[in-house]
Amino acid sequence: MSKASGEIKAEPDLTPLLDIVFQLITFFMLVINFGNDNYDQRVRLPVAASAAAVEPGPVEEDRLVLNIDKEGRLLINGAELTMDDAMKEIRNQADIKRRDAERYAEKKKLPKPDPNNLSTNVIIRCDRVTPYSDLYRLITACQERGFRKFSLKAMNAEG
Amino acid sequence: MKKSKHPDVDIPVTPMLDMAFQLLTFFILTYRPAPSEGQFGMNLLPAAPVIRMDAAAPPANDANANPDVPAALRTMTTQLRANPDGTLGRVTIEENELVGMDELRAKLKEILDPSQDLPFEQALIQADPQLKYEELMKVIDVFASLKINKISFAELGPNAAGAAL
Repeated sequence: MSKASGEIKAEPDLTPLLDIVFQLITFFMLVINFGNDNYDQRVRLPVAASAAAVEPGPVEEDRLVLNIDKEGRLLINGAELTMDDAMKEIRNQADIKRRDAERYAEKKKLPKPDPNNLSTNVIIRCDRVTPYSDLYRLITACQERGFRKFSLKAMNAEG
Repeated sequence: MKKSKHPDVDIPVTPMLDMAFQLLTFFILTYRPAPSEGQFGMNLLPAAPVIRMDAAAPPANDANANPDVPAALRTMTTQLRANPDGTLGRVTIEENELVGMDELRAKLKEILDPSQDLPFEQALIQADPQLKYEELMKVIDVFASLKINKISFAELGPNAAGAAL
């Protein structure tokens, strides 16, 4: 801090730079979409121009994402499940959703929900080359467990 | 400029900037733009009795009808046959054999005559087990573009009889 020589001390003002960096950080934090964590990147979706754009629903919207790879295996948390394990997983998920719905209805003093008509939206992300029989088996299994609402995912354009 | 006797407090901004840059680098590296995904929403109800779309409509207030058994739905059945490689082969709507999406679209437009009421209550797609999902999606795409949203699915058996989903 001492002025020993006659040189001019140049101190760049870093505050505006810091402001910009914080703004950039804020931007990236906001655009990070944690809701897409369930979307497995190994699944290559088919292209369908008429597929409706997904409207951002409420965060608490009840949904179940099923990623199905090209071999027809269900992908859960990165693991590939065999068809038998997939059936167990769907059964477990249905039990969880049913209990949640009952608890919610109890809390809000609503009539008891129909156990065979779950309000959960089953989002199916199926690979474009998956045989129909595998998809059909999984949808049937979901139906048998009480799921009624389904959404079939597709890309709006080749990406 | 120093009017008061307060000491000049120099806050070091550099470490904060370093940390901010690290955070920025982290967010840039982990950023994956969300793909533009769309979806076809549908209510897939349990199998219900179906009748052909050209059959006479069931009476609206049938006194003998059992309320526990759903009324038969007038159904337009579309059968999708696959080629050995899983691509879409023959398409059959009722008894009309079609080739390609253009013919399918034209036939559907013909059925969906705007001057008349909708001739069916649901569209049933019976697909070959070997059919690739993208081929099925092309057909759903055509249906959706013509505002046919009540779709149900079935698997096409070897004898072309499928169980409705």
